[in-house]
Amino acid sequence: MYPEDLKYTVEHEWVRSPGESDGSVRVGITHFAQDALGDIVYVQLPDVGTDVEAGTAVGELESTKSVSDVYAPVTGTVVARNENLDGTPELVNTDPYGDGWLFEVTPSDPSVVDGLLDAEAYQQQL
Amino acid sequence: MPDLKTSPLHDKHVALGAKMAEFGGWLMPLEYAGVLKEHNAVRESVGVFDVSHLGKAVVRGPGAAAYVNACLSNDLGRIEPGKAQYTLCCDDATGGVVDDLIAYLHGDDHVFLIPNAANTAEVVRRLAAGAPDGVEVVDQHADFAILAVQGTHSDEVLDAMGLPTGHDYMSFVEAEYAGHTVVVCRTGYTGERGYELVAPNAVAGELWDAILAAGESHAIAPAGLGARDTLRTEMGYPLHGQDISLDVTPVQARLGWAVGWKKDAFWGKDVLVREKGEGPSRLLRGLVASGRGIPRPGMRVLLTPDFAVGAVTSGTFSPSLKKGVGLALISAQVQEGAEVSVDVRGRAEVFTVTKPPFMTPGVRES
Repeated sequence: MYPEDLKYTVEHEWVRSPGESDGSVRVGITHFAQDALGDIVYVQLPDVGTDVEAGTAVGELESTKSVSDVYAPVTGTVVARNENLDGTPELVNTDPYGDGWLFEVTPSDPSVVDGLLDAEAYQQQL
Repeated sequence: MPDLKTSPLHDKHVALGAKMAEFGGWLMPLEYAGVLKEHNAVRESVGVFDVSHLGKAVVRGPGAAAYVNACLSNDLGRIEPGKAQYTLCCDDATGGVVDDLIAYLHGDDHVFLIPNAANTAEVVRRLAAGAPDGVEVVDQHADFAILAVQGTHSDEVLDAMGLPTGHDYMSFVEAEYAGHTVVVCRTGYTGERGYELVAPNAVAGELWDAILAAGESHAIAPAGLGARDTLRTEMGYPLHGQDISLDVTPVQARLGWAVGWKKDAFWGKDVLVREKGEGPSRLLRGLVASGRGIPRPGMRVLLTPDFAVGAVTSGTFSPSLKKGVGLALISAQVQEGAEVSVDVRGRAEVFTVTKPPFMTPGVRES
């Protein structure tokens, strides 16, 4: 449910380092978050090139019943986003740690990632 | 969540892994396998809902039907015993909707009512307060379970259980099942062909299991309140507490078809006849998204960036149409076909004003 090789935030997002793009980390939401949201029907993500600040809302996940913000887990620049989610937003439910990833960001301070929660610490605060 | 009432099927829902949620003072299933799967099962095949939270009340005694007819909005004179009718309980002074309900006409001396969970006590209170000698109004809220079997394959499911099917839309038939009387009503809140079974609590579990077993070959899905909401929103069916309330009249909600205008009396008649004649200032309209916006209750409806004309009362992503749809109370001057924008968290999303339903209902299919 919560892979050991990922870092986590209290906003129920995961961070994989490194991401596919050079110098980036990949961001998604956790199993807990996708289950709580229910069927996701629309994903709005930040544009590539956007500068984002840790802890601020940068997008939205809309489910059949509600809407929830997507937060930037670290400060940096968005370098990729999962365009497949536009047509198949359900990937966030079915494969939250894989094909349901949200976006990639190049952290302005890469060391910040190490300070995020590990899998055990994340699960303890659920 | 203190003192929530639970359905006689509560343990079945927990065993199925349902997510539970509070609704009208009851703890009911919100979803099992997911809203989209459940929604699609009902639209394409068949689903079963536990709606035991719905109210049940009986009005009986000599002249019971005539008394109900003098209170509730619709005209019971339009239907025969064995038929049910959508009707409204309006406030006599303001015409606002206390509740919308289904009235089952058993005979001149017996009407069974299904109000909304949260409003049952108030409807019973109002009816009991004015009841003539010999007519009693009894709240039976916790005495019966209600199971809704909805979808084009509902008949096969009930047929396999030996229950009656094929009667007209909005009619009901009593049947024996496992030694209990079950009322099988051709009604629902999904827009699909289907039935609602009103059964004593004692037989609810057995009925539920039998429905799931009989529906297996049609991939029946247990469905929760989440799918019930997306299904009813696609049909433009109003939900009391959101689209209609004490602050909204049937004229504004375009529910005039459920009002017996020619009747001598019903609660709110004077004020509603006047409003109908003068024309309402606002109307409940449908909204269909042009883009990706999904309307949610409370969002403002705008004609221009600084000119609000109303607010969204219900809204969701339509799983069938794959776009945002909703209901909104907006100025009567805004015409059908007009383009408006909805303030979706600061973004102006474009919607077209339409007349619901948003898709063709199958309730009357024969």
